[in-house]
Amino acid sequence: MDASSVRIRFTLNGQPRSVEFSADTTALKLIRDVLKLKGTKEGCGIGECGACTVIVDGKAVNSCLILAAQLDGRTVQTIEGLGTPEALHPLQEAFVKKHAVQCGFCTPGLLMSTKALLDKNPAPTRAEISKAIAGNLCRCTGYHHIFASIEEAAHHSKEQT
Amino acid sequence: MSRLHYIRPETLAEALDHLDRHGRRTKILAGGTDLVVDLRNGAVKPDFILDVSRLSEPKGIEVTAEGVSVGAGVTLAEIESSDVLERHAPALRKCSLTFASRQIRNVATIGGNVAHCSPCGDTVPPLVIHEARAVLASRRGRREVLVEDIASGPYACSLPPDELILRFVLKPAPGVTFADFQKIGRRRELAIARINAAAMARQEPDGRLSFFRFSLGSCMPTPHRMQEVESCLNGQVPTAKLIWEAGRLLAERTIAITGRRPSTIYKESAIQGLFLRMLHPLVRP
Repeated sequence: MDASSVRIRFTLNGQPRSVEFSADTTALKLIRDVLKLKGTKEGCGIGECGACTVIVDGKAVNSCLILAAQLDGRTVQTIEGLGTPEALHPLQEAFVKKHAVQCGFCTPGLLMSTKALLDKNPAPTRAEISKAIAGNLCRCTGYHHIFASIEEAAHHSKEQT
Repeated sequence: MSRLHYIRPETLAEALDHLDRHGRRTKILAGGTDLVVDLRNGAVKPDFILDVSRLSEPKGIEVTAEGVSVGAGVTLAEIESSDVLERHAPALRKCSLTFASRQIRNVATIGGNVAHCSPCGDTVPPLVIHEARAVLASRRGRREVLVEDIASGPYACSLPPDELILRFVLKPAPGVTFADFQKIGRRRELAIARINAAAMARQEPDGRLSFFRFSLGSCMPTPHRMQEVESCLNGQVPTAKLIWEAGRLLAERTIAITGRRPSTIYKESAIQGLFLRMLHPLVRP
C-alpha cells in the first residue's frame, strides 16, 4: 500500500530519536528495518507469540500490533537497551545461568515481558510470572528453566536491595 | 492507488470534523491490536487512520448519576486494575483477566473490542448484562445506543462512519449478590473464546432470584441477552433441576439461531455445561 510519511520523536533505549517512515509502518518494522535493531524478533506478526515484545512507557506491548506512529513522544526500550555483551543485565545473566535459552528466538521478547513485570513487582509469585509471560511462546524449553531464571533474577535483586 | 494517511487529532472536535468529511474512508485506531492485523492482511484498506488514543474525552472509569461510565479508550489493563469495576461491574472486570495476553491488555481498549464487532469479543456479554449504552459523538450531536445493538452481524458495525464511541454507561444493578463471566477457549491464555457468557443475579435470603440477567457470546453471530433463559429463572429458587433445564433451553435456543453445524455436537453440551458451571453457586436444594 502506498502511504504518506510520518515523522515522530521518541526516546529509544535512553536516546532521543527523530525518524520518518511511511504511515503503514508497524513499531516492529520501525525497530528492525528502519532503525536496524535486530534483537526484537518477528514470529507470528499477529500478536500471538510475543517474540516482538518491547516496553513502551513501562508496559510490555507487542510491537507487531501497534503502528510506529503511535510511539510519538513515548519512551521505548528494546532488548538492545537491556544489557551489553560485555555487561549483561542481571536478568540476562539469570537466563544464561539457568539454561533458559535454547534456540533463542523467543528470548528477547521473554526478557522484555519479564523486565516489565519485575520493574513493577520485584518479587512475583510463580502465578504472577506465569500471567506476565503467558503471551510469550517458547517451543524449546518447556518453560521450567525460564521460570527458574526469573525467580533467580527476582531473588538476586532482592538480595541487592 | 490511494495513499494511507495517519492522523492524530489534538481535540475531539478535530476528530469529529475529520470523521464528518472522511468517515467512510477512515479507520479509527484506539489501541491498534485488531486494526493493525487487519491492515497487515489487507482486510481493510482505509485512506486514513484516525488515532484517537490521545484524546482525553474517551478516558477514565467513574461512577456517575446514570451509572458506571467507562471511557471507550480505557484499556483492558485499566479494567483489570479498576476497584470501581470490581465493585460495580465485577463480570466486566473478570473478563479482562483472561483477555488475550498481558501485552495486548496493555494496549487494547474496550471501545475497540466493541466496535470491532467480533462475535467473540469478551467485553460484550458483561456490558450487555448491564444494559450498557454507548455514548456516541459526531458533528451532528450526541446520542446513545444499546451496546447489544451495535453489531449487526459478525464484524459488521451498525454505527455510521461519522460517529465515535466516547464511553459506555452501565446501568447500576442495586443489590446484586452474584456476577460472573465465563469463557471456553482452546487454551487458558491468549484464547479466542469459543463460548463466553456473563450473568448477574440478586438472590434473596429465601433463595429466590429477584433479578437475573444472562448474555451469551461467541457461538452466535452477535452476543446478546437470552431473555427466555432469564425468564425461566427470574422469581424462582434455582434448584439443580431448574438450572439444568435452563441450561438445556439455552443450548436449544442458541442452536435455533445458528442452525445445526458440525460443531453443534460439542457446543450443545458445552453451552449447557458452561451455564451449569457458572450458576452452580446459586443452586439451593
